[in-house]
Amino acid sequence: MIRHLFKLIWNKKRAHSLLIIEIWASFMVLFGLASLLVHNLSNYREPLGFSYEYVWVVDLNNNQDTVAVAEKTQRIIQRINAFPEVASSSRMSDNSPFSANTMNNNVERGNRKTMMDFYVTDEKFADVLEIPLASGRWYTPADSIGKYRAVVINQKAKEKLFDDEDPVGQLLGDKPKGNDGSRQQKIVGVIDNFKAKGEFMTNMPAIFQQLDAKESYHKKILVKVKPGTDAVFEAKLVKAVTAMATGWSVDVDHLTESCENRHNLTLVPAIIFVIVCSFLLINVALGLFGVLNVSITRRRGEIGLRRALGATERSISWQFVGEMWVLATFALVLGLVLACQFPLLNVFDLASSVYVIAIIVAALIVYLLVTICALFPSRQAAAIQPAVALHEE
Amino acid sequence: MIKLTNIEKVYRTSSIETLALTNINLTINAGEFISIMGPSGCGKSTLMNLMGLLDAPSAGQVEIDGRIVMQYRDKELALLRNQQIGFIFQSFHLINDLSVLDNVEIPLLYRKGDATGPRSVGASRRQLAQEALEKVGLSNRMKHFPGQLSGGQKQRVAIARAIVGRPSIILADEPTGNLDSAMGNEIMAILQQLNTEGSTIVMVTHDETMAKKTHRLIRLFDGAMVGDSKLISDLRFGISDVSAGNVISEPSNPKS
Ligand SMILES: Nc1ncnc2c1ncn2[C@@H]1O[C@H](COP(=O)(O)OP(=O)(O)OP(=O)(O)O)[C@@H](O)[C@H]1O
Ligand SMILES: [Mg+2]
Repeated sequence: MIRHLFKLIWNKKRAHSLLIIEIWASFMVLFGLASLLVHNLSNYREPLGFSYEYVWVVDLNNNQDTVAVAEKTQRIIQRINAFPEVASSSRMSDNSPFSANTMNNNVERGNRKTMMDFYVTDEKFADVLEIPLASGRWYTPADSIGKYRAVVINQKAKEKLFDDEDPVGQLLGDKPKGNDGSRQQKIVGVIDNFKAKGEFMTNMPAIFQQLDAKESYHKKILVKVKPGTDAVFEAKLVKAVTAMATGWSVDVDHLTESCENRHNLTLVPAIIFVIVCSFLLINVALGLFGVLNVSITRRRGEIGLRRALGATERSISWQFVGEMWVLATFALVLGLVLACQFPLLNVFDLASSVYVIAIIVAALIVYLLVTICALFPSRQAAAIQPAVALHEE
Repeated sequence: MIKLTNIEKVYRTSSIETLALTNINLTINAGEFISIMGPSGCGKSTLMNLMGLLDAPSAGQVEIDGRIVMQYRDKELALLRNQQIGFIFQSFHLINDLSVLDNVEIPLLYRKGDATGPRSVGASRRQLAQEALEKVGLSNRMKHFPGQLSGGQKQRVAIARAIVGRPSIILADEPTGNLDSAMGNEIMAILQQLNTEGSTIVMVTHDETMAKKTHRLIRLFDGAMVGDSKLISDLRFGISDVSAGNVISEPSNPKS
């Protein structure tokens, strides 16, 4: 029966080429859609790596004031910590969680080199964001006077530079350079994940460097407030801070809100894309259904004949489903040649596993689609009396 | 072998109703060679379709081998069509996208997997199809496609396809209608040969001389049976009632 099917398909290859193209097109649309969804979903499945509940970002801006900025900043932090509503706080660089800012550094170790998200934070950062340590420890005030600059990296960064080696205690960069950068970086700890841009961000290599309290940059303060603290306190905090440094301004963001905004930045375009693709897909499915319906109806005579010769209704529908599967397989082979270029040429900088899963998902949906599109018209055609079907030819 | 009781067939479309057959009572015994005659549109093909289980009557009962098939489900009907009945259609109905050999093999394909029939696999299927084609004298056209054959050759392919599964009943709807007399005689000879080998044959024909070569002649007029006569394949008796034939009024018969 399978040989019979192949002969039948081969002998009508020209009539089938249009169908193959149609199936191929729907596969490509599905593949694109599935890649996007699988990519975001696999990102989403990775733990965020930190907790942001009750954490506010207080962004200090010294504006025109350039006198004793570092000292003022330190005093403001002391003031903030003195509020009974504040559980703890941590000073960091501008690229706070869920913000639009990013900092990258090329980090070298021997002949290995990799691009990493670069954060400058103080000693309480891990504490405020409740970041668990996979190994080693977070840096302490004692590290600030050591021979090396203390850094913490995440698991992804460890994979890039160390494979299975233990990175704790290792030095980064080949030689001391620059003014205060004269101190070489030394890894004191490793954390798991840090997806600063939210759940849908790809888990990137990241490095955290100890902040020098005497610096005048890096004036974002993560403030963890006690549960139940509200906007009244926010106003009080802003008032207190602006009173301490004339000419400075303060912005307060709640991380829960920034997180939501961040997610919407990913979700909204994704949802629009999904809707557009769904319509496209419905169109393709309808088109496929129409083409198959016509071609199966045109073969009613053949169906009647086969039934007259002893085919059951089931074997008729399976014949058509089988034919469609063979055609779909042809189309998928064509589609695969194209789809494989994405991971091979690394077109969108996504993990190749994303494409593999997307290909499998798209292929399954294509098979499902053609099965449905072949099953219904052929069932209908097989249900009419053979004599009637033959009469129509 | 085949028994029709009080058969009526009405074709209903949205606008018109056609009474194609009415009050048909007919018993066909094993080994008989029967011809059916009647003017165009009188219901001959309809009757053949009912006997071949290709359509259901509007009223009445069809029995094959003593089994009432009216209640049969699709699977059982398919089995009967496949094993008991070989159908030769008025208009061949070959699949143009398949070679002659592949066309002839089709009935055997639907035999696979059913418990009662011989499980015919690849090579033996091929073998049987070749034998059937040899029988109809087409062994030199097996790789051809139907489009490359003459009408007579197509008809012979259709016969090969009907006999390849060795059915006990062969239903032939005007097998010689599209052929010249020489080719017609050839086809007739094949059918007679099959009949002597034990097949029950029912044949629709317009050709009196073909009908004369059979055992029994059924006449239809306007959907009703108007004649059923036993023939002796002897020209002295002509086409007249001989014995058991209960000839009803026969308006189409010029002799009456
Ligand atoms: N599928 C159908 N739908 C409606 N009417 C039909 C259908 N098939 C046949 N008929 C009608 O039933 C009647 C009998 O048709 P049938 O095909 O049995 O005639 P026939 O005796 O085989 O004629 P011919 O010698 O021309 O082949 C005709 O009047 C025809 O119009
Ligand atoms: Mg007819």
